[in-house]
Amino acid sequence: MHQSNLKSLILSLMIAFIATLIPWSAFALNLRPDFLLLVIIFWMLRAPNLCNIGVAWGVGLLMDVATGGIFGQYALAYTIAAFFASIYQRRLVLFNNAQQLLYVFALLVISQISLLILKIFTGSALLGWYYFVPSFSGVLLWHIAVKLGLKTGGRPSGT
Amino acid sequence: MVRGFHHKLEQQAAPAFFVRGPSSFVRLVFFTALSIVLIATDSKLQYLSGVRKNLVALLQPLQAVANMPSQIYRNSDEYFTAHHNLLSENRQLKELLLKQSVGLQHLEALSLENGHLRSLLNANKTLAESSILGEIVQIGRDPFTKKVIVNRGASDQVVAGAAVVDAAGVIGQVTRTHGASSEVTLITDTSLAIPVQVARNGLRAIAFGQGRDQVLDLPFLPANVDIRSGDILITSGIDGVYPAGLRVATVSQVKVSADSPFAHIVCVPSGGVENHRQVLLVSIPHTESLATEEWIAPVKDATSQSKKPTKILSAGKNNPHQAALHAPE
Repeated sequence: MHQSNLKSLILSLMIAFIATLIPWSAFALNLRPDFLLLVIIFWMLRAPNLCNIGVAWGVGLLMDVATGGIFGQYALAYTIAAFFASIYQRRLVLFNNAQQLLYVFALLVISQISLLILKIFTGSALLGWYYFVPSFSGVLLWHIAVKLGLKTGGRPSGT
Repeated sequence: MVRGFHHKLEQQAAPAFFVRGPSSFVRLVFFTALSIVLIATDSKLQYLSGVRKNLVALLQPLQAVANMPSQIYRNSDEYFTAHHNLLSENRQLKELLLKQSVGLQHLEALSLENGHLRSLLNANKTLAESSILGEIVQIGRDPFTKKVIVNRGASDQVVAGAAVVDAAGVIGQVTRTHGASSEVTLITDTSLAIPVQVARNGLRAIAFGQGRDQVLDLPFLPANVDIRSGDILITSGIDGVYPAGLRVATVSQVKVSADSPFAHIVCVPSGGVENHRQVLLVSIPHTESLATEEWIAPVKDATSQSKKPTKILSAGKNNPHQAALHAPE
């Protein structure tokens, strides 16, 4: 059981990473959700013994290499988001789907805000409101995945 | 405060016999510290360039997989292009060829004459440029910086510092080379400045990126400066990085306000900064010595011991005229 979980963890991370590497054009680039963070959040809620903060940090480091930015930026953002994912992980069984969606959205926004703070420290220009669009598209993607039958541990709403 | 926060988290932690490894708070602190150390090391020191190079090489196969869908789409698109499309395109191209070959003859005559005049004046020959055709394989995923990755790298003799141009003008500069790819910072990035000259009157200035698409800025020019909207900016070549005479941008508006001694000049880049796939990486010879010293010297101990790095660097930084004068000796 654990062995197969580990395999699907690595496989899903790889697929998410490839999806991030696809050359997105300008418009889609603004829309593109953070696939890697979504996969990490999913596994942190589903199998916290396999996917912990260390995994999130390592994946963030790979993301730093892929974006060509300074080492450690995405790593730090993912670490912080993963920490907040882990502290409420045990309460998640009490959440219904809508609450879980809100929770995932909060996690995505947290990672984006920590990245934004880091970027401001390193002297980048501020971006407009559309900087936060990936959080919305990410949560939409999560919702679609749940509707398609992905088991995220939340109860169906209304029960 | 941190203690209180920690205490709050502790309340909902599982009993000790369920806990595996350190608590998530400890992990958070550990990995946050590690990230901050990495950020500091990478932004201030150059230790990590080797690590980065290896990791990028590791990512290469994944990148190839990610590029496959668009590659297949383009290939099939080309395959299914209708016959008559090709014919009409062929006709257009022939026409264009004819027109341009006339222009080319003109150019040949001019360049012959120019060479002759230069040799008469005993002037330095303009440095020959070497160029490599590359293709943009990915657009930077970081919304804060304007960067693209090109599929030519150190193995194709691309050096950091080379100018990147397309058919219409300069689009950026190579800022980092990997084995089989290199990172190009676009001229719209805030960290890139490019020395330009107004084509109409030869006025020199420096253009800065704004971090936004399709906008360049010419700061620190006096309010009475002779620049009009519609002026064409070309590279001046005095920096020894960009070859002279490449188109950079067109001035789109000049604003003068009473409360500032400087004119506010906004330009639109003429190269397709955001929309081309094929680009030319142009390096002029003496930037090579500068770049190789910086990137290859740490690997080869023997060469760096025999040559004093500072000496080579200063020779590379000299202006092109001096470099050319010293070359024959």
